Amino acid sequence: MERRSLTAAILVHLAALLLLVVILAPVVWLFVMSISSTPDLIAKPLHWWPETVDLSRYGVLLSSAVNSAGQAFVASLFNSLKVAGMATVAALIVAIPSAWAVSRTPAVGWSLYAVIATYMLPPVALAVPLYMALSWIGLLNNVFGLALVYLTILAPFTTWLMKSGFDSIPREIESAATMDGARLDQVLRLITLPLAAPVMATAALFAFLLAWDEFFYALLFTSDQRAKTLTVAIADLAGGRVSDYGLIATAGVLAALPPLVIGLFMQRALISGLTSGGVKG
Amino acid sequence: MSALELVNIRKRYGNVETLKGIDLSLASGEFLVLLGSSGCGKSTLLNIIAGLAEATEGDVRIGDRSVTGVHPKNRDIAMVFQSYALYPNMSVARNIGFGLEMRHVPAAERTQAVEKTAKMLQIENLLARKPSELSGGQRQRVAIGRALVRDPQIFLFDEPLSNLDAKLRMETRTELKRLHQMLGTTIVYVTHDQIEAMTLATRIAVMRDGQIEQLATPDEIYNRPATRYVASFVGSPPMNMLDATVGDGTAHIAGSLSGVPLPSPLQDSAGRVREIIVGIRPESLALAAAGDSGLTIEAKVEVVELTGPELVVTSMIGGQRLTASLPPRSQVAVGSTQHFSFDATALHIFDKATGKRI
Repeated sequence: MERRSLTAAILVHLAALLLLVVILAPVVWLFVMSISSTPDLIAKPLHWWPETVDLSRYGVLLSSAVNSAGQAFVASLFNSLKVAGMATVAALIVAIPSAWAVSRTPAVGWSLYAVIATYMLPPVALAVPLYMALSWIGLLNNVFGLALVYLTILAPFTTWLMKSGFDSIPREIESAATMDGARLDQVLRLITLPLAAPVMATAALFAFLLAWDEFFYALLFTSDQRAKTLTVAIADLAGGRVSDYGLIATAGVLAALPPLVIGLFMQRALISGLTSGGVKG
Repeated sequence: MSALELVNIRKRYGNVETLKGIDLSLASGEFLVLLGSSGCGKSTLLNIIAGLAEATEGDVRIGDRSVTGVHPKNRDIAMVFQSYALYPNMSVARNIGFGLEMRHVPAAERTQAVEKTAKMLQIENLLARKPSELSGGQRQRVAIGRALVRDPQIFLFDEPLSNLDAKLRMETRTELKRLHQMLGTTIVYVTHDQIEAMTLATRIAVMRDGQIEQLATPDEIYNRPATRYVASFVGSPPMNMLDATVGDGTAHIAGSLSGVPLPSPLQDSAGRVREIIVGIRPESLALAAAGDSGLTIEAKVEVVELTGPELVVTSMIGGQRLTASLPPRSQVAVGSTQHFSFDATALHIFDKATGKRI
């Protein structure tokens, strides 16, 4: 490392600290809210740290009593997992062959741009046509229907990401495997996909997050516990006459956990995915 | 029986014709080098032989079997790529054995073949490593091993040494030559390096603009280049090319008073064209001793460079440059006028209009 003056070192660390605070402050506040008792939350002046730690809201949201807030929340948690999971898997299944085709056949690259162009449309413009279509095939208020809608959002994105991943794998490696006697499916399975695994993990994680966080379509196309996702369930908590902000914050913390766990598991793959361009075959 | 035969191969990309009718026949055990500068179509031709690209017109025959439209894996060829193209996710052993694995060779037999090949290339101790843990030279050996282990009818090499440093390039070149002598395989080798071409080939095809300019043995390419292009491409420093006109059996070098009397076998043929190019290799020139009665040429010395084994003298004759490779201890002063002597048989005369040898 080059030599740096003390001032420069202090400035760099200050900047890093500032970034850390900006990123973490809302999350910390969310957590503090979730464990504050109601009097602490509405006290004036504001209590930055609660006088009494109250963990009861976690119990409320995770209870399985019939017709409780907990039952609705847990149901929506599973709906979110199902919808985001299905949409992500389907998006990868669509993205891998199409991204490979576009990457290896530049002549059809325009089609990817055409698909990306649909991304430019605001979701609200598509809401009515999508609603009618879902209604026509009887998939309104259905996790499969919502996953299908999410697929239209995720597939272009994952395809785009996977294409740049495939682009970084030299074609000569595939040519070599072809000459070595591998069929197309063997080339993909044994050579290309293992090499693209980091990018695939990145695409999967971001696709999952995108689906997990989606609110607009979920609000429009679901109406009860059979299909309602977390984002809608959290909004419901705020929608009543009395809003328990602590409960909303608790739901927020719980909703953040599954992606966090997935992110931790895929950390290694993610990091190498972000630096895969630096590795020479 | 020819191992490889190319019949009128043409390749067009839109309106651009990159290969303009290549005809070639290769006997078994030959080492053919496709030599040319970048963009001459040599790599395209190699890809067409490999089946990675399809010719627009013409036929490729391997072992007297037409392989047009045949998938690369069914052509019984192996290829070594410029970037090595090893499989980064597999060990060296699996890299080498991959071709056998794809052809369903039993595991025991495969291991044996991989070990034998590794031994031949002296990479037995690297078999468990991943390609990323190897140096450039070791990767190159693995890539060669991957081709060797399959024992195909034809080996294709696409500029295999261009990513190696100078010393390693020389060692690997010698190694390749040794392997070819030992195994007697048929090889097609693409390069832009004339030294590689001269040392390795049994025959060289010098390519230019999608055509074969000359197809001959290295000896013939060097000593009897068919065209001005071939003459200037092979040899280092490159051959001197002096514009001249012909009159009275003498070639008058443009821009100077010097004339080179044409030897009698050249006189008749050169007599028909007035504008010619006189080619002399730098290594054919020597310092003329006082009173030398042979052929000499007078030039003003501009730069003297000692490379170690030779002294490269650049001088001007009229407005044209003349380079001479002299013994290292020659006494040549910058700015002096020197007489260089040469043998009549060292002259290469080309038609200026067509570039063809006369």
